Amino acid sequence: MEFSFTEEQDMLRMSAKDFLAKECPKARVREMAKDERGYDPQVWHRMAELGWMGLVLPEEYGGTGASFMDLVILIEEMGRNILPGPFFSTVALCALPLLEYGSSEQKTKFLPQIAKGEAMWTFGLAESSGKHKASEVKLRAVLKGTNYVLQGHKLFVTDAHVADYILVVGRTGEGERPEDGITLFIVDARGPNVKMEAIPTIGGDRQFKVSFDRAVVPKDSILGKIGNGWHIADFILQRAAVLKCAEMSGACQAVLDMTSSYAKERIQFDRPIGSFQAIQHKLADMLIDVEAVQYLLYQAAWGVSVSLPSLWQISAAKAKANEAYQRICMEAIAAHGAIGYTMDHDIGLYYRRVKAAQFAAGDTDLHREVIAAELGL
Amino acid sequence: MDFRLGEKELALKEEIRKFAEAELPPDLVRNTVIDGEFRDFEFEISMSRKLAQRGWLVMSWPEKYGGRSASLLEQTIYEMEIAYWGIPGAWMGISGIQWVGPCLMMFGTEEQRERYLPLIASGQKDGVWCTGYSEPNAGSDFANIRTRALRDGDDYIINGQKVWTSVAHRARWCWVAVRTNPNAAKKHHGISIFIVDMKSPGVTVNPILNYYGRHHFNEVFFDNVRVPASNLVGEENKGWYYLMQSLAFERRSIAPTTYGNLKRILEELARYAGQTEYEGQLLSKNPVVRAKLADLAIDLEVLKMFAFQLAWRISQGQIPVYESSRNKIMGDDLMRQGAIIGADILGIYSQVDPDSEWAKLNGAIQGAYLGFPGQAIAAGTAEIEKSIIAQFRLGLPKSY
Repeated sequence: MEFSFTEEQDMLRMSAKDFLAKECPKARVREMAKDERGYDPQVWHRMAELGWMGLVLPEEYGGTGASFMDLVILIEEMGRNILPGPFFSTVALCALPLLEYGSSEQKTKFLPQIAKGEAMWTFGLAESSGKHKASEVKLRAVLKGTNYVLQGHKLFVTDAHVADYILVVGRTGEGERPEDGITLFIVDARGPNVKMEAIPTIGGDRQFKVSFDRAVVPKDSILGKIGNGWHIADFILQRAAVLKCAEMSGACQAVLDMTSSYAKERIQFDRPIGSFQAIQHKLADMLIDVEAVQYLLYQAAWGVSVSLPSLWQISAAKAKANEAYQRICMEAIAAHGAIGYTMDHDIGLYYRRVKAAQFAAGDTDLHREVIAAELGL
Repeated sequence: MDFRLGEKELALKEEIRKFAEAELPPDLVRNTVIDGEFRDFEFEISMSRKLAQRGWLVMSWPEKYGGRSASLLEQTIYEMEIAYWGIPGAWMGISGIQWVGPCLMMFGTEEQRERYLPLIASGQKDGVWCTGYSEPNAGSDFANIRTRALRDGDDYIINGQKVWTSVAHRARWCWVAVRTNPNAAKKHHGISIFIVDMKSPGVTVNPILNYYGRHHFNEVFFDNVRVPASNLVGEENKGWYYLMQSLAFERRSIAPTTYGNLKRILEELARYAGQTEYEGQLLSKNPVVRAKLADLAIDLEVLKMFAFQLAWRISQGQIPVYESSRNKIMGDDLMRQGAIIGADILGIYSQVDPDSEWAKLNGAIQGAYLGFPGQAIAAGTAEIEKSIIAQFRLGLPKSY
């Protein structure tokens, strides 16, 4: 048993911390919330130069061949700094399944572009119910000649407006189970019959309704096999769940640190408020929550990185992070008092992003169900 | 990061399972976390002896003192499995095994180690200890103790009273904190630790029954109890340091034990839900039941990780400062959740006397319900533990 990271991993974390402290201060985060693209192309370019997009991609595709755990560390730091932009959707949601399930032509075509920061991707699964379940996939794909024609829509597609490609979960057929007949399409996001409508969110991140109105997709522009794609969606959801936990873990740590510092500085009744037990106990509860999130994350990430079945560990991590991140933010605002309620203060930046994180890659109900199944219920 | 269990640990789990199946009645689910009660003392001590014979009772102690220098990881697995199977006798009242032995190894004389450790290691009645810490005016404010030890030639004379002393009614020895310097500038700098033979003249033990009539706690009165000076542990007036260490040992052991106990309870609840119907539907298919058990499972997993992390940290030679407190808080909270969720699932049956045939799950849920408030208060209340985290992990000023 080992509860520490390697020296290389510590160095990766330090360098990510340094880079993001410089390139992603909170002022930049606020600026990007108003920016049309929502990210700074120069920062994106520098990240690519650092090898971040290609971190876990094999060297033959321009990557560094690092481990899944390394990506977790990187994304923790991104979460700590609320890095805006399509890194998560490109790398976590799409580069990983492309690597796992892409044909060699697809990998050769798409992965180097991703590694160089020259292509952005996103993923569309959820429809009106917002649930990440095969039964909720109504988007239809019908074969016409050498193309599929897509009809339907996807909701809460992150960063669709800057994506070059969207990985879309559609239905090409029916079977006994809702998972039968699911196909994953690689869709040109700039195609003529792909329309986007912004869904404004409280987090200031970029989410979209993407409509496909007779959108034409060449029939080989498919990831995996026709009618047999749900396991790829599952793969994406599982990896995304862990990586979203990583993002939340970093965010939780930032909120704890911010609150702990404030408690030492803020003087009321002639003493730092951190000398009052009510505040101390809140912070202790927050610390326990932070460590709970971290250890469940690392266990799930480790399981994935050594290819052990980790379904319920992933679900435990995501369910815990969902609840803890929210609770930590709420307690932190309470500890800050009125100043925590202002636009000027940074805590609101985190609090407003809790909802998007909670519902990405499976909400708490979905993950509780995985665990209930594991318990044999 | 690596969360694999090694061959040795997996083999140990298997051996303990076989031991439980051979030695215990089938389907036994215990309803107390630690055996502070000793309701069937002879049976429990006989189990202690068997555990000693298997080399498990004090496994992490050096061979010289009856252990086998097992790693803290193995020790943690053992504690989890013992609790899971409900094997009594593993703690012998907890003090001797968990901290008296280790503290004597750290702070005692070789003579003390040779005298006392083998008795513990062999699982004998004379190896059962109690710990005299709390007093009527010194609970969380532990430095406020008044039980006095006065030097008298080659002896000390002890006068005073201890309260909430677990297992005193069965213990042969008492590890007791006393005041040796009433004029110390800081109260905690005037405290020493002594070993007292419970058979000494002047020692009186009165039971304190809990609200359900269970006998864990006692009052212990010391009326001019004469104790040889060689029974002083370490240095006079340095006792605070030793007792802080003992508390860290005690708090560490809560998480693995609670984890094992609750893991078993969770499995039994899942089994019960899968066999019990209400309005034509199995409880296990009820979404509320599923969600509650899933939530319990998630926090149980956190407790497991916390337990292993602390063990790992100590095994690296690091001195954990706040982790024991974190683990105690988490363990106590889990026990509470288990009691509440378990009672929700048992419904009206959750009120049944745990020893009655009417009781489901061997009364384990009632045991958790009745037991956790006491467990949560012992060895440091949640308020104290949270204050420790705030002060020592987060660097906030002491609040008291």
